[in-house]
Amino acid sequence: MSNQKKNDNGSQNTNSVETKVADTKKGGKNATGSTFVVTASGSTLEYAAPVKRDKKFTWKEVKRQKSLIFISALVFIYGCIFYYWPLTGWGMAFVDYKPTAGILGSKWIGLEKFEFLFTNPLNKFWPTMRNTFCMGLLNLVTTTVMAVLFAILLNEIKSNIIKKPIQTISYLPHFLSWIIVTGILHDSLSSTGIVNDLLMKMGAIDSPINAFAEPNYFWGIVAFANCWKETGWNAIIYLAAITSIDPCLYEAASIDGAGRLQKIRYITLPGIRPTFMILLLINVGNVLNAGFEVQYLLGNGLVKSVSQTIDIFVLDWGISQNDFSLGSAAGIFKSVISIVLIFIANTIAKKTGDERLF
Amino acid sequence: MDFGSKIGTVAIMLRKFEEVNMKKRLLAMFLVLAMGASVLAGCSKTEEKPADSSATTTQAPADETKPADETKPADDAKPADDAKPADDATPVDTTPVDAPDGIDTEEVTEFTFYITMPGSEINSDNDIAEMIAEKWGVKVKETWLTGQTASEATGTMIASGKYTDFIDSDEMNMLVEANALIALDDYIDQYPEFRDTWFTKAEWDKFRQPDGHIYWINPFGNNYGTPRPTTHNDEAFWMQVRVLEWAGYPQIQTLDDYFSVIDSYLEANPTMADGTPNIGYTILCEDWRYFCIENAGQFLAGYPNDGSVIVEKDTMTIADYNTSEDTKLYLQKLNEEYKKGTVDPESFTQTYDEYIAKLTTGRVLGMCDQWWDFAYTVEPQYKIQTCGDVTLEEYGCNYVPFGLTTHAGDVNRWHTYGDTVNQASGIAITKDCQDPDKAFWFIVQCAMDSELHDLRFWGVKGVDYEVDADGMYYRTDEMRLNVADTTYKAAHLCDYSYFPQWSGTHWDGKNAMSPSEQASEFMSGMAEPLKKCFEAYGVGSYPEMIGSVVEENGPWFPMYSYSNNFTTATPGGMAWKLMGDVKHEWLPKVVMAADFEAGYAEYMDVYNTCNPQDFIAEMQAILDTYK
Amino acid sequence: MSDEIQVQETDVKASGDRDTVVLKKTAPEYTKYKRAKKLTHHVSASNVIFNIFLVLFMVIFVVITIYPVINTIALSFNDGGDAVRGGIYLLPRKFAMKNYETVLAIENFPVGAKISVLRTVIGTLSSLAVNALLAFVVSRKRFLFKTSLSFFWVLTMYVNGGLIPIFVLYKNLGFTDSFWVYIVPGMISAWNMLVLRTYMNGLPDSLEESAQLDGAGYWTIFVKIISPLCKPVYATIALFVAVGQWNSWFDAMLYNKTSAIYTTLQYELMKLLSSVMQQSGSADSAKNNAASATVTPITVRAAATVVTMLPIICLYPFLQRYFVTGLTIGGVKE
Repeated sequence: MSNQKKNDNGSQNTNSVETKVADTKKGGKNATGSTFVVTASGSTLEYAAPVKRDKKFTWKEVKRQKSLIFISALVFIYGCIFYYWPLTGWGMAFVDYKPTAGILGSKWIGLEKFEFLFTNPLNKFWPTMRNTFCMGLLNLVTTTVMAVLFAILLNEIKSNIIKKPIQTISYLPHFLSWIIVTGILHDSLSSTGIVNDLLMKMGAIDSPINAFAEPNYFWGIVAFANCWKETGWNAIIYLAAITSIDPCLYEAASIDGAGRLQKIRYITLPGIRPTFMILLLINVGNVLNAGFEVQYLLGNGLVKSVSQTIDIFVLDWGISQNDFSLGSAAGIFKSVISIVLIFIANTIAKKTGDERLF
Repeated sequence: MDFGSKIGTVAIMLRKFEEVNMKKRLLAMFLVLAMGASVLAGCSKTEEKPADSSATTTQAPADETKPADETKPADDAKPADDAKPADDATPVDTTPVDAPDGIDTEEVTEFTFYITMPGSEINSDNDIAEMIAEKWGVKVKETWLTGQTASEATGTMIASGKYTDFIDSDEMNMLVEANALIALDDYIDQYPEFRDTWFTKAEWDKFRQPDGHIYWINPFGNNYGTPRPTTHNDEAFWMQVRVLEWAGYPQIQTLDDYFSVIDSYLEANPTMADGTPNIGYTILCEDWRYFCIENAGQFLAGYPNDGSVIVEKDTMTIADYNTSEDTKLYLQKLNEEYKKGTVDPESFTQTYDEYIAKLTTGRVLGMCDQWWDFAYTVEPQYKIQTCGDVTLEEYGCNYVPFGLTTHAGDVNRWHTYGDTVNQASGIAITKDCQDPDKAFWFIVQCAMDSELHDLRFWGVKGVDYEVDADGMYYRTDEMRLNVADTTYKAAHLCDYSYFPQWSGTHWDGKNAMSPSEQASEFMSGMAEPLKKCFEAYGVGSYPEMIGSVVEENGPWFPMYSYSNNFTTATPGGMAWKLMGDVKHEWLPKVVMAADFEAGYAEYMDVYNTCNPQDFIAEMQAILDTYK
Repeated sequence: MSDEIQVQETDVKASGDRDTVVLKKTAPEYTKYKRAKKLTHHVSASNVIFNIFLVLFMVIFVVITIYPVINTIALSFNDGGDAVRGGIYLLPRKFAMKNYETVLAIENFPVGAKISVLRTVIGTLSSLAVNALLAFVVSRKRFLFKTSLSFFWVLTMYVNGGLIPIFVLYKNLGFTDSFWVYIVPGMISAWNMLVLRTYMNGLPDSLEESAQLDGAGYWTIFVKIISPLCKPVYATIALFVAVGQWNSWFDAMLYNKTSAIYTTLQYELMKLLSSVMQQSGSADSAKNNAASATVTPITVRAAATVVTMLPIICLYPFLQRYFVTGLTIGGVKE
């Protein structure tokens, strides 16, 4: 029963695979270690190519693409309704919003909320920005590196009997809520916790370190918590990307005497590059969404100067103060920064010929 | 990364807000409990409500129509799978009660009630809710706040323009502005007995909005008859009885007394009998629970729990306890003890769960906290957890309160006597209410009908409580187990907890209004070391132990009911917010400071940048309205 | 387990590293590679170091990763009052089923479970279909609005109008007190679209061109040619959407809190948790939790987490083979 299905699957894949194989062989014939790089980053050509193709705006073309355009129009309308229409809520940032009066009925205050954000030293907005940005960046780098590293290493395990359970275990923490994960983290890092215990036994420290009292550790702890929870889940996509790399490349490399590290370096890494790039681009835009819950749960008065993120700021200064307008202003600011960041990143990706967002 | 991540982020953010808001919720909820904790009658309020003034027009007929044979046995109405067979139970009379003209108690009206607080939902076929529906013709579907802030939930409701029949929100003003509520003045006057019993005129006036109308009724914090002694539900410096026993039950009046006992005990007994290291004193500083370090200064100076400020009664002026000498001395003492190693080094980073876990092991000799914040979770475990061969309770781990003051012999006001009326919120009827007359009538019944009140808080007679020969209500062990069970609660109990309710003594003049205040319920199974401690100090209860002066608080009390609603929209609110932030960060730093004076001076510098005077001025303006 | 994998294992595993795309290769070629490979493997000293590192990394990783899960399971089987004390690591200290009983006793559990399953199934299928179609459109190389439409959707990931305008919109569209609020508003997601698009971008253009020469329209190309090739990426997106649907509760709270018939399992669990948090601090429960098995937020949360996780854990093995053979973004070359 499942055989049937699988064979179907297999034969349907054949098309593309054979093309791939043929393609690779072209590159691989005069193969040396270095040409693999060319082959793998050959994607450059692939993405550059369509731009050169005929894409002229003519009525004939419009007519030919009428079904595509019809679908686009539908999803465009959908997007306008569900994603863009609510942006009228941004108007809240420019009025003293009262739910009773609505946006149009509330008093116009112009940029007052933005001024409060950017120029009021008491609210500590800029330190909050710094925290958010740094934690966002640190999380992005560490979680991505960990996911890629885990995916590659897992891929180096040959036995499926070992590999599959490890993968299954790895994604499970994704389903635990932050309160559970931070609870365990708090426990482990407390002065009687396992980490201090180990360090003391190893003689690395003389007295227990109170990790949560020390602002210097906070960002690291948050990054670790993120890696802990999400590495396995994030790795799914990289694992899959790796498995779609043409095995011929590895085999050819083996013939040429490449070691495992070399194969990782010259085949696996370039192979997951498009995946890596697209996720990187998406996440660069999310750098200011460094989190809320994890900082909230791990933070305390002593480390507040480094733990506060924009989302906590919005809770603190907006929502708990019944100030809907401030939250909206912060939201607009975040959106603007995100869009600027993805524009920059997208332009760079375009230059290097990598996969890009638009 | 996954689908709906945007919604997910919002959800994550909001889930935490709920806990921030818990403060208000808990304050409201525990005010009720606190009210029941007073030892002595003596406030004028109580005298206005003699125990026999209970009969109301609507209640009397209900009592008369009680013959058991006409009624339906309670278990008929129950789902068959329900755990508690009611065969031996006294059948509950469910004949509809009489009601004023225009109110139909035969027909069941299903009201909706949105409460912007976290709470427990009951099942749709809840037994007691069904009984109430049959008899009073009212069923209420309560919806509680989950994962949102009160202001957001209220704001969303206003924006959508559709309201539930009843509403109780932390953001009542928003609802009034939106014209969402019905003015209750005329309704209140229709029930003079309720009007006169429930609040005094001055108290009703606290609820008048700028337009002169009353829109909501606070359901909590009202004592009927004599307040009932159970425990000291408020804040105190707590100490384990084993320490006191070891020290020979000394007089402890000041911080110095308190810490010298702990220090010497700790020195003589660094560990418990089973080798667990003792912790001298721990401080909970997590989030809003940082009151455990924050407000001791006001009590040490002998003032009551106004929370955010001190009220000088004689001059009717507001003072700031954050900068007071008492607070400084208190912090200095903590600093000293911290350096000695008596104060738990994890104090400032521990979470609430960790704090509770620590207390539950019985290792912590003392701390400053409110009873409700730890005791309900911690103390029952002392009956089970052991140290060597004995339970922690027998080992003497239970806590007793001390009402410390800066100077020995000063009067203390740690314990709150009398009623606490929180005018900021309460139950309201919205303009979308399907039957406002009946809705208000039911609110009145909740406060005035003893049978309804018993059903809500004691449960079904014979099922949830028994009555002994003297007419005293009590629960068997099995009943106690049942009422503590989440599942049983959802299926069977229905207290409509945001409708008016009484603390204090029952209409019958004997029982307490609710089981938590019934002395026999509370004191049952008290541990030996605790008894010995009480005997040694010659007291019979926790409130006597703390020995606060019996005194009626001013009508402004508690001032935190005002400051809780401050927002950054005003300079005072802005200052209040900043002060909170600064204290969160600096109180731990000051306690940990190597050089206390320098640390304190630095703290004061930062503190003063918050413009606390703006806050004080606004609080003063509020107090001035009581002049 | 599956013969596809077995084939791969015999062929591919021998040759190196993968259980992946089925390749039409002849045995002799593989033997050759295999031999070559073995040689290189055994001579390399760095290989030994690499293996040690690999084993160490995986052992540490698995231990660290599985610990919170085991801890959660242990807590879920522990008595609530006892768990408050802390110190529960791998096994329950005072065994109790009470947490699960409490979770399963939720009045709306059956309704919630039904709606959760329905929204997961319907939401996943519809979202997958629509996102795939959109991705197909924007991955057509000649499509006139390729860039602009992509941009239009990419932006949606970074802008958000806020809770209140969205609430009012949904209410006006009739999505409050309705099942469709779970399905329609989140149907198209830019993230999913981008993943699907990049995969489709990677498929050879020649497929489309030759089909067009044969007179096939876009619809036929999408259904008959592209979609079958995308099965693996479809499976992955399905997983992501399904997990998202299964786990979400906020929409149920926001839009359907007064309609018990549209409640979801997750929302019911959230309400239970919130309720237990309320009750655990009350005098009533305090009086008695000494004597009986009790529940506290810590243990109920653990049980709720396990109940939530179970269906996903059961589902995963069926999907896993697709991840290890399928998903990619732009990995398939022309």
